[in-house]
Amino acid sequence: MGRYVVRRLLWLIVVLFAVSVITFGLMHAVPGGPFAREKTLPQEIIDNLNKRYHLDEPLPMQYARYISNIIIPKISSLPPGVSTQDDALFNIKLGAVWLKWMNFGPSYLSRSRSVNDIFRDNLPVSIQLGVMALTLSVIIGVPLGILAALKQNTFWDYFGMSIAIFGVSVPVIVFGPILVAIFAVALGWFPATGWGAKPPFTFFFLPTNLNPDYFRRAALPVLALGLGSMAILARLTRATLLQVIREDYIRTARSKGLAERVIIVRHALKNALIPVITVLGPLFAALVTGTFVTETIFGIAGMGRYFVTSITNRDYPVIMGTILLYAFLLVIANLFVDLAYAWMDPRIRYE
Amino acid sequence: MRTKRFGVISLLVAFGLILAACAPAAGTPVVQTVIVEGEVMVVTTTPEAPAAAPKVVTGMIGYNDIPTLDPGVAEDTSAITIVNATNVGLTWLDETDATLHPGMAESWDISEDGKTYTFHLRQGIPWVKYDGTQVVEVMDCQETPAARPVTAVDFEYGIKRALAPETASPYAYVLAFAVKGAAEYNSGTGTADDVAVKALDDYTLEVTFLENVAYNANIIGLWTAHAVPKWIIEGDDCTDARGDRWFEPGFFQGFGPFVLKDWVHDSDITIMKNPFWPGTEAIPQAMLDEVKLFFLDSVPAFAEYEAGNLDFTEVPLADIDRVKADPVLSQEYSVYPNLCTYYYGFNTKAPFVDDVRVRRALSMAVDRQSLIDNVTKGGQEPAQWFGRPGLVAAPTMADHPDLGVKYDAAAAKALLDEYLAEKGITAADVDLTLMFNTSSGHQKIAEAIQQMWRETLGLEVKLTNQEWQVFLDTTKDPVNTPQIYRMGWCVDYPDENNFIREVMAKGGSQNPTAGGGINWLNEEFETLVKEAAAEQDPAKRLDMYAQAEEILVMTDAVIAPWYWYTTGNVTKPYVTRTYPVTGHNDFTLWDTSK
Repeated sequence: MGRYVVRRLLWLIVVLFAVSVITFGLMHAVPGGPFAREKTLPQEIIDNLNKRYHLDEPLPMQYARYISNIIIPKISSLPPGVSTQDDALFNIKLGAVWLKWMNFGPSYLSRSRSVNDIFRDNLPVSIQLGVMALTLSVIIGVPLGILAALKQNTFWDYFGMSIAIFGVSVPVIVFGPILVAIFAVALGWFPATGWGAKPPFTFFFLPTNLNPDYFRRAALPVLALGLGSMAILARLTRATLLQVIREDYIRTARSKGLAERVIIVRHALKNALIPVITVLGPLFAALVTGTFVTETIFGIAGMGRYFVTSITNRDYPVIMGTILLYAFLLVIANLFVDLAYAWMDPRIRYE
Repeated sequence: MRTKRFGVISLLVAFGLILAACAPAAGTPVVQTVIVEGEVMVVTTTPEAPAAAPKVVTGMIGYNDIPTLDPGVAEDTSAITIVNATNVGLTWLDETDATLHPGMAESWDISEDGKTYTFHLRQGIPWVKYDGTQVVEVMDCQETPAARPVTAVDFEYGIKRALAPETASPYAYVLAFAVKGAAEYNSGTGTADDVAVKALDDYTLEVTFLENVAYNANIIGLWTAHAVPKWIIEGDDCTDARGDRWFEPGFFQGFGPFVLKDWVHDSDITIMKNPFWPGTEAIPQAMLDEVKLFFLDSVPAFAEYEAGNLDFTEVPLADIDRVKADPVLSQEYSVYPNLCTYYYGFNTKAPFVDDVRVRRALSMAVDRQSLIDNVTKGGQEPAQWFGRPGLVAAPTMADHPDLGVKYDAAAAKALLDEYLAEKGITAADVDLTLMFNTSSGHQKIAEAIQQMWRETLGLEVKLTNQEWQVFLDTTKDPVNTPQIYRMGWCVDYPDENNFIREVMAKGGSQNPTAGGGINWLNEEFETLVKEAAAEQDPAKRLDMYAQAEEILVMTDAVIAPWYWYTTGNVTKPYVTRTYPVTGHNDFTLWDTSK
């Protein structure tokens, strides 16, 4: 098992390298540059900007510079123009390592913020939002699916699947504003926008102070974001559980006279949940990074916005950084899923 | 049985979680994280009833985070709003009517040739910062520290820093074309010493301009030419260098009517009153204690406004009809001019639109008022020419009601018919494409105009769109600039020169010397806009610009102006406010009775 994990982690490096090359090539192949404006800037100004960010160098050189900034520790501090972080401002021990090694470059859009700053300030918010949404969708979606499968063609089945169909078919862009209109504007129970935690974060991703207001602010966006994945999980759980309880070994178990609870929990559920766990990995990665709409509707300072706006702004380092981050999260999440397989299903071994 | 209970319990747990989230926050201690001088501190306070509640106004400022608060490199509306609140230029533009007032310079003398300006600065105004609890003066490094006053040296430093090639300021070009020696320094062919900006003593600054033009004092008052604190950017005996981070919360120093208090990137920014700002006639001391501004999309911002959590915001297009019909909201809704123009440019070298009759027909065939009433809905004004009224020396509808281009369906049709007859073709043979940058708003406008062209002229114009950055490339391409393309222009400094000459004259941003854009040269127009810049008699100057506008939109019909922008805002009745024509709110004039 240990060897398997190491091998997967080595693969991660290869994957990230490939992703970085492809992303770098694609983003430079797209027409338009980071400094194009409606008010056309004079060539001298564009030249100054290109020089500042080394965009006047050949592409392979730019790529090499980018990668070396990430993997080679920062020996001397960069000139003031390209300074990426201020050690005094975020004097956290854990942070020191991160800042010294992995410099993801400046953001062309923001003079004072680097991609590291964006990760440090915005990723924790997305993680908090994503984790809460995923938790909500698991604790509601999975039981709902189980209930629907066990009570097939009864009220519970129709009730559960109605919720699931609603969740799958109503996108956040519709559901979010509905929640806001009802619970924020009409009833005034929750704030319509904002997130209850701001940087710096504890251990890099936890809110520094948990209080009722934090959860009050989180309630609507978590519900809006979690609905879709909850519906996916409910439908998937129902489908796989229905399939499993028709299997021969369940019939055998029943004929042996085992209690229904034991059959369901120990035999059926464990197998039925394998496909469910499979989707949890990508679902988590998607919830953490792909929350552009939710973050826009609820005015949350997460990563989702950077995923979209960095591309329209041609903010190359931010594009590279966010894509690599997404790839990293996806690979890690899939690794955890694969490890969970082995635990769930004795037939799967990774040695 | 068991499974039923399991289902019910899980639902109860879910409801419980939601209910738990509703618990009130009252009476609990507030834990705040503040950053003071680079140290992160966690402060716990139990709120008590304050003696006098601070006057706070909350609102929305743009969709995205502010890219920078460095005056030297700022270029977008949100940044300039905060920069102008926290930092004052040599001269000061009244946001409500775009007239020029003294700023940090109390007065100025102009040399005989009109090129050299000597600015006399106000004395004893200190640099200030927020120390985590209050606004304090910035001290110098002497043995017995004294407050650092804003000096002419700070302005000289600020201007030269903005021009330095290493700074790579996007807006340096505005100074580069106005100040002697600035272009050379900025492009790397000259040195900082060649820039004709010099502190004669602590409170006297001499600036030599390239031309004797009416807008010199205007340009030197722009945010790009503000003073910045050298000691915190580069460091000195008692201050750590902060480089490009000097304007981050915890480090920020300024001297305007407000000071930066807090800035949560991508979320909100808060400025607070600077008690050390003495107040001048044009820039009084702030009446508000704090202004908290959120970066929000207009839809959620309006929801917060309706929920009572914001004091002012813009209204999303989809809600404008409802706001106008609502008895309460309609009272809180105001529409005010904004110095921007929405227009279509014609590539005068492209087929069909290379004939002025086609261009003029296209321009005259559009009912601008109908476009505003049915599509844009923001109470915009139909545009008859390019330079938005309200700019210095721009024609206004009051003094030039018949100038430029107007909707005239019959005349448009006659012009097109004349062209078609001469060429021996029919309307079906005219192959035209209109390109805009991808956005639902531009799409709606383009579709409405396409329909008007179809109905009035019988022309079937194709619509196409490109993503913004690609579109910018395409519209500057000497060969591939589309026949008709969408554009807009907003004020840098409120003078007609900033519109008609900087955008449309040869070398202007829509008329590149290398080709592309409108691809147009009219010697009479070039002479008019050049001479108007230097004309000292306001009446003559306005008249010259009126002639130039007539050439641009009617005689040669190089562009089709559609409307002059307005801004629509809702503001709670307890807030007293001003409405800026320049697009940047000036909070010094605001107050609240709440």
